[in-house]
Amino acid sequence: MELHFAPKSRARGLAIILAIIMALFVVRLFYIQVIQHQYYVSQADSEQIKQFTLRAKRGEIYAMEADKPVRLVMNETVYTVWVDPVQVADKQAIVDALNRVAGGNTRKDFAQYIERAGTRYQVLATKVTRTQAELLKKENLAGVGFDAVSQRVYPEGQLASQVLGFVDSEGVGKYGVEQASNDRLRGQDGLLKTVTDVRLVPLTVGDKNIKKPARDGDNLVLTIDRNIQAEAEKALVEGMQRTGATQLSVIVMNPNNGKVLAMANLPTYDPSKLNEVADAAAFNNDTISNPYEPGSDIKTFTVATGIDKGVITPQSTYLNTDYIKIDDITVSNASKGQTGNITMQHALNWSLNTGMVTIAQRLGNGSSITRSARDTMYEYFHDRLRLGQLSGIELANEAKGVVVSPDEEQGNAVRYSNMAFGQGMDATMLQVASGFGALVNGGTYYVPSIINGTIDADGNYHAAADKPRYPGVISPASSTTLAEMVYQARQAFYSKTDKPGFYVGGKTGTSQTIKNGKYVSTETIGTYLGFGGEKGASPSYVIMVEVAGKDMNLSGNAHAMPIFNEISNWMIDYLRLTPRE
Amino acid sequence: MNRARRAVGRMASGVGDLAQRRHRPDYQIVLFMGLLMLLGLVLMYAIGPQRANVLNEVHNTDFYTDTYFVIKQALSLAVAIAAFVFFSKLPFSVLTRSAMRLVQVGLGLAALLFVAGNLLHIDSIAANTLGAYRWFNLGPLGGFQPAEVLKIALLVYLAVFLGKRVSEGAVNDVERTVLPVVGITGLMLFIVVVLQKDMGTGLAMASIVGAMLLMSGMSWKLLTRLVVVAMVIGALLVVFVPHRRERLMTFFLGDAAADSSHVAADDSNYHIKNAMIALGTGGFAGLGIGNSIQATGYLPEAINDSVFAIMGEIFGFMGVTVILGLFGALLLRVLRIADRLPDMRMKLAVAGVFGWLAAHVVLNVASMIGLVPLTGITLPLLSFGGTSMVFVAGALGLVYQLSQFTSHSTIMESRYENSSSRRGIGGSRYPSRRRTPRN
Repeated sequence: MELHFAPKSRARGLAIILAIIMALFVVRLFYIQVIQHQYYVSQADSEQIKQFTLRAKRGEIYAMEADKPVRLVMNETVYTVWVDPVQVADKQAIVDALNRVAGGNTRKDFAQYIERAGTRYQVLATKVTRTQAELLKKENLAGVGFDAVSQRVYPEGQLASQVLGFVDSEGVGKYGVEQASNDRLRGQDGLLKTVTDVRLVPLTVGDKNIKKPARDGDNLVLTIDRNIQAEAEKALVEGMQRTGATQLSVIVMNPNNGKVLAMANLPTYDPSKLNEVADAAAFNNDTISNPYEPGSDIKTFTVATGIDKGVITPQSTYLNTDYIKIDDITVSNASKGQTGNITMQHALNWSLNTGMVTIAQRLGNGSSITRSARDTMYEYFHDRLRLGQLSGIELANEAKGVVVSPDEEQGNAVRYSNMAFGQGMDATMLQVASGFGALVNGGTYYVPSIINGTIDADGNYHAAADKPRYPGVISPASSTTLAEMVYQARQAFYSKTDKPGFYVGGKTGTSQTIKNGKYVSTETIGTYLGFGGEKGASPSYVIMVEVAGKDMNLSGNAHAMPIFNEISNWMIDYLRLTPRE
Repeated sequence: MNRARRAVGRMASGVGDLAQRRHRPDYQIVLFMGLLMLLGLVLMYAIGPQRANVLNEVHNTDFYTDTYFVIKQALSLAVAIAAFVFFSKLPFSVLTRSAMRLVQVGLGLAALLFVAGNLLHIDSIAANTLGAYRWFNLGPLGGFQPAEVLKIALLVYLAVFLGKRVSEGAVNDVERTVLPVVGITGLMLFIVVVLQKDMGTGLAMASIVGAMLLMSGMSWKLLTRLVVVAMVIGALLVVFVPHRRERLMTFFLGDAAADSSHVAADDSNYHIKNAMIALGTGGFAGLGIGNSIQATGYLPEAINDSVFAIMGEIFGFMGVTVILGLFGALLLRVLRIADRLPDMRMKLAVAGVFGWLAAHVVLNVASMIGLVPLTGITLPLLSFGGTSMVFVAGALGLVYQLSQFTSHSTIMESRYENSSSRRGIGGSRYPSRRRTPRN
């Protein structure tokens, strides 16, 4: 392009200046776009590329209702409404809209946060539902944002809350199944690294996007039966009202597979109102976390050991004087007067300590609890029936308890004489109930379980792999004999409480508590351990009840057994058991 | 002196005579303008979907479609081309005769805007931009900016006024020439810069007046003084208006210098930073059509004031160099025409158009590449639609019309300025004019 400006004209001067400016621009552009290209690409990446976590959906938790899974824990998306004070245009509009749409969810005095200087994120309301959030979004309020948060909801209210546990604000399971199976329930978060527009909407532009999908958590189905759990909780509440006890626990198991059907404690809590729980002790599942001296219930274990070892039969007799001396201590009976030559069945019926010490002696040389007797008892109590061992149930905070081995200095004859009637050892209710199940089911120990299976994304149920079982912990014959003895023990005094035509047996327990290292009689714990089922068949259920209260004398027969009776009779109907003569 | 004045006067008024002598217009004006307009249209096509997406999100509607912007731009172009044709046909004499009328209309519209906006706050008529009222809201027709009318009114009025003073040989007369020019310019700058808070348009006006004064042959001494006065006033306007002061501080010292409680400073730095990112990521060859990321909302005013940066992102260094080349060529054509127009009023009018275009191109590009602070000024013919496009096209139409009256041989301004004989003027241009085939 020929321009031919007049020489020395002002236009020529302007043209030269313009050309210089344009040249300067081109040089500058070359510097920015070509030389500094990589620098700006990295600047752009840090601004345009965002990393999103693709949240895995936490698995839901189901219970069984007979053979059909029902939801106990679900997920719900709620919204946290927040404000960026810098972008707020109309404070009053925000206040009005929030009060109108989500008045119940707002933070206290939320208006003061809307224009708080020096911050760019202030929460105004939490747990706002999707519907409310949609209404608020329609208002198009400048500066107001929404964060989707997933929270647990409990369609059955506080049912089985201590079994379930809860999820804390960081999304971590606490207590119960939520904690024990946190990894399975949580799944695995995915990752999306992508170029986005300024409003964080991912773009498909470019080749820098990376996506790793989330793997949702497993939906777990518990062995808990919704109806049995509800019945057990109801019976506990009634028992609490009746007795005034402050600590009550119950466990219902199927002795033929080790599955826990119900597990409940009082006091408990409502998982949807965690902030109202005053004492964190309410979160504890005492049936697994609180080992105690099981007391007289363990007499069934001692008798079973004697029978299985062939040192006694139900009709074996011994001379009961209400006192028996072991080394330097004397053991006495709680119920006195059943003196003379009495049978082992009689001793079990009356829960006589002397009878149990006698069995322990007969496991030895007949007159003292020898090392060999102690080894046998330890083998049965600890190794075979797994008292003092972690059961491995899929619940958090399981405690182990203590059964002192004869190898230890403490494991002497005196200790084992006490252990014969359930003192000098600690066990959890789950351990006792599981061991008892093996005693009455034909002699197979089933490792207790609370997870029945999973439900996949399509809603199909998949049973969990069977847990280990240990047949022959006592012989089938011994088991039949023991069950019959326990049946007789119950029938001896309490036959009228059961529906006629069923096979219901049980053993009371009234344990002293230890205060400052000494047994005291001012506070006793009442327990009841029993089974029920059809005559001529393996028992269908094992129920164990415990009632306790500070400075209260609670007994197995007066306070714990009525709760057992209530549940047991209900179970007979619920399981549609057939009465037989 | 007297004869010379008469001679120039006759020429100036004798457009009719000259019309017979007119020759082929400068088609290159149409060529460069057309190419730039086409590029603008391509760009609207390229980033329209992203813009539509952003606006739909912001306004929570689905009003904006993927083709919304390209169609609107095409409509604007149609109006702009009509304006070009109109001004290329409208006899210059008609324009010069209505110079005063234009000024009155411009001032009237500005006054109306002031009353409707600043006084009555009728936001449905006067659009509110961060507290300033700059344009009328015409609903579906878009916006109308009275400052554009003021610009063209100032241009035509000064062309007539200065042309008359030059013909009188009084261009260097402080009382008769300099003060009236300063007066009317000052009034318009007051309206635009102070009332409408539009520094960009103010700078464009100053550039128009500057180019016209320079081409009028005003003495360097006077020009220097005017520049000094303008710079002092400009500096005061910057120093005494907080947001401009901060913008300047931010530009030179970075965010840290600006008071962090003021968002404006922060925004302006963010704006420049993202313009540079757009240019920088574009690299040598650009990301290509449909791949702009900065246009998805990172870069403010992506289709208006920041369109150059988006072009750099999409078309790369090659693309923006071509665009600068087109602007350079267009501006030099305009300057060449100004240089060769024997009629002082025509010459000044074209010089004004040059100052106008040059201010927009230079200020816009310089701010996008971080050489000057942001002023909020459109890139002519490329920025999305609106009044700016139509008026620039109209101004180029005027240049196109006047390009028919250039003399082929170049004119020495010094000779022209000092000519004291009719022969000296006329003889050198028209009578002996020879048409030689060009390029």
